[in-house]
Amino acid sequence: MSTGSAHTEIAIHRSGAQRMGFFTDTTVCIGCKACEVACKQWNDLPADGSVPGKGASYDYTGDLSASTWRHVRFVELLEPSPQLREEAQRALESGGGNKFPAIPASGAIDLVDAAQAGDGAADVAEAVSKMGDWVFMSDVCKHCTNAGCLDACPTGALIRTEHQTVVLQPDVCNGCGYCVPACPFGVVDRDPQDGRAGKCTLCYDRLEDGLEPACAKSCPTDSIQFGPHEELVEIASRRVARLHERGIEGAYLYGAGDEPDEQLAGGLGAFFLLTEPPELYGLPAQADSPVQENVVPATLAAVGAGLLASAGAVIAFVAAGRLSRRRPVRESW
Amino acid sequence: MTDEHRWEGRLEHSGEPAELTPEDEPPTTSQGRETDWVADHDTKSRDIRPALGKPGEPAAWTAAKPGAAVPLARPSFGDAQWSFLYKARDTAYAAAEPSPGQVVSANRRMRRAQVTDVHGPFIHAPVWSWEVPLYFWFGGMASGSAFVALACDVAGDCRSAAIARRVALGALSPAPVLLIGDLGRPDRFLNMMRVFKPRSPMNMGAWCLVAFSGSSAAAVGADLLGRPRAAQALGALTSLFGSYLGSYTGVLLACTAFPVWARSRTILGPAFVATATASGAAATRLALVASGLPDGHPTRSALGGLETASMLSELVLSAVGERQLGDAAEALRRGRPGTLFRTAKSLVVLGLSLRVVARRRMGPREHDLASIMYLAAGLAFRFAWVSAGKASATDAAAVAAMGRGRRALHDVRERPRPQRAPSMDRSQLPLPGAARRAYGEAIRRASLAIERRLRHR
Repeated sequence: MSTGSAHTEIAIHRSGAQRMGFFTDTTVCIGCKACEVACKQWNDLPADGSVPGKGASYDYTGDLSASTWRHVRFVELLEPSPQLREEAQRALESGGGNKFPAIPASGAIDLVDAAQAGDGAADVAEAVSKMGDWVFMSDVCKHCTNAGCLDACPTGALIRTEHQTVVLQPDVCNGCGYCVPACPFGVVDRDPQDGRAGKCTLCYDRLEDGLEPACAKSCPTDSIQFGPHEELVEIASRRVARLHERGIEGAYLYGAGDEPDEQLAGGLGAFFLLTEPPELYGLPAQADSPVQENVVPATLAAVGAGLLASAGAVIAFVAAGRLSRRRPVRESW
Repeated sequence: MTDEHRWEGRLEHSGEPAELTPEDEPPTTSQGRETDWVADHDTKSRDIRPALGKPGEPAAWTAAKPGAAVPLARPSFGDAQWSFLYKARDTAYAAAEPSPGQVVSANRRMRRAQVTDVHGPFIHAPVWSWEVPLYFWFGGMASGSAFVALACDVAGDCRSAAIARRVALGALSPAPVLLIGDLGRPDRFLNMMRVFKPRSPMNMGAWCLVAFSGSSAAAVGADLLGRPRAAQALGALTSLFGSYLGSYTGVLLACTAFPVWARSRTILGPAFVATATASGAAATRLALVASGLPDGHPTRSALGGLETASMLSELVLSAVGERQLGDAAEALRRGRPGTLFRTAKSLVVLGLSLRVVARRRMGPREHDLASIMYLAAGLAFRFAWVSAGKASATDAAAVAAMGRGRRALHDVRERPRPQRAPSMDRSQLPLPGAARRAYGEAIRRASLAIERRLRHR
């Protein structure tokens, strides 16, 4: 993850600076949205004017945007996921003290009532199998190692800081909007009123003053943890192991702890602990900087075709000239 | 706490809702929030400036000297003694030691688990408006005309070559206006030239636009000054720049996360070149006809052939590309992009049949009509491709399928994506470090000065 000899990158360098990041543990998130509020307040970001009740969801924010840099995604499932169902079944079969999966879950059926009314295990199993599943994920800029926005930015407004985070310089950005489609995670966006792009800075200003980012500071359950990236990966791995011990086999890390050839965008500075397949949270199973993936083959094909087209034009004209010398040419097609 | 302030455990309902003035209500839409904010804060504009610099002073990106301290930096993040979970009172939150490979295999298992449900949105739709496809069309026309100018010169038709060079310059002239108009902050357009970044297609396109317009204007100037040799040389240079100007727009779209664009990465560039050549040839042909090039002249005949061949290859490339796309191709078939594609294809077919009929029965007028149809088809193709990206971005299933390396979401066959090198290596202007920084800083300050001047007016 280190930059190595990264002095060709548009970046701020400071010797001894560590890669800093977020570890967002969705298993302890309660969906309070304190992180969203803290982010808005610290960064002085305006409201997005969301209309309550969209899509019959409690998630009024909807999406990350140029003025929403943290977004607690509410994943509401009318059906329990197969993972949850399996875990419930396994917990019941093992007959241990803990009959409930520890995944945050809620639904129309009151589990306590179900357990008290019947003879216990069977009713609980039925209740769990009918239960809706509800998970939260506090989404944020991933501060990728292979950052698509950073690759795409034509003005050098997006830079890499000494903390290996990706920061947008608002005084340089001219709002070309190319970072928006270049982000494989749908993070960065252009503000329709302001005209510039905006995204999480991992509170670069707070970091320079030795403070942790506003969202991590405000998180009441420590679902959002901030720290040196290496330490966070270690803690997150231990947390995954702990959750596996407790029977939550679906726990895994999104964006950290992978083999080098399976990393997401070269490894994410802000990574997540999830319990469902990534698509459930609106995250791609695999992603990379679209610019790095496509720019070489696309440019080769495009420039090759361009040269071929000009050569073709020359050939067409020379041939037409030769032909006309032999016999008179009518307007052709 | 006195008794009257004690909570009674019961909510009193007055029956009538409290009367609210409009000022008490939160705004229902985002409309006007910017102007309200500006009015409240008595500033000229909202500035989302948390990250770098001090209020009122712009920040600069400068590569700090290794070892130099960042202002106000502390040796450690004192505030980051973050967690009650596993610090002083250990809650066994992360108590277990992972076995070797445990996390790797858990990640692999879940990222390859069966797709149960897809909850979008995954990515943001592009913010580009009508200016961008229109620019693609004009830029393509300019580069196609540059090809024609080169071909005319080689074939020995110097008069037509001079006209083609003028068409190229004329077609290019709206391009900067359109591009600047599409920026969120048009007064900062100069920042496009602040860095030289081969990795960013938009940056390279901006530089190419400058180079093309420079050499194209110089070529026309040489024509006017009666220097045919210089004009020919500059025309050849223009057509070299044109081979990137007409094709980089496809690269620009391919280097994105939208399935319909990214998956046609090797198709988009060639298809855009084909449209560019056809529109350039059609525009030049019409200009030549208007300038009185006689019917039956080999240049007119060659231009007609070039138009038709290019449009046919665009059709073939589109068809091949659509087969590669899998589920993502839905974005090309439905809604607005679908209508535009169908329009474009029918215009091509119509133009082609006109040519066939005109060859047999009718005169040159019908050939001109066919050229106009090809031009319109080119415009429709540009708008279709750009709006297909918007449709594709909102197609959560297609985005998820691309993430899995599949053509369709529940396809069994996968082609995992190879790992790329980290994005550290990027070149900037080929200048010494100090000069490069001074240049970048000068451009940034010039942009801000322009912006200040324009905004205060």
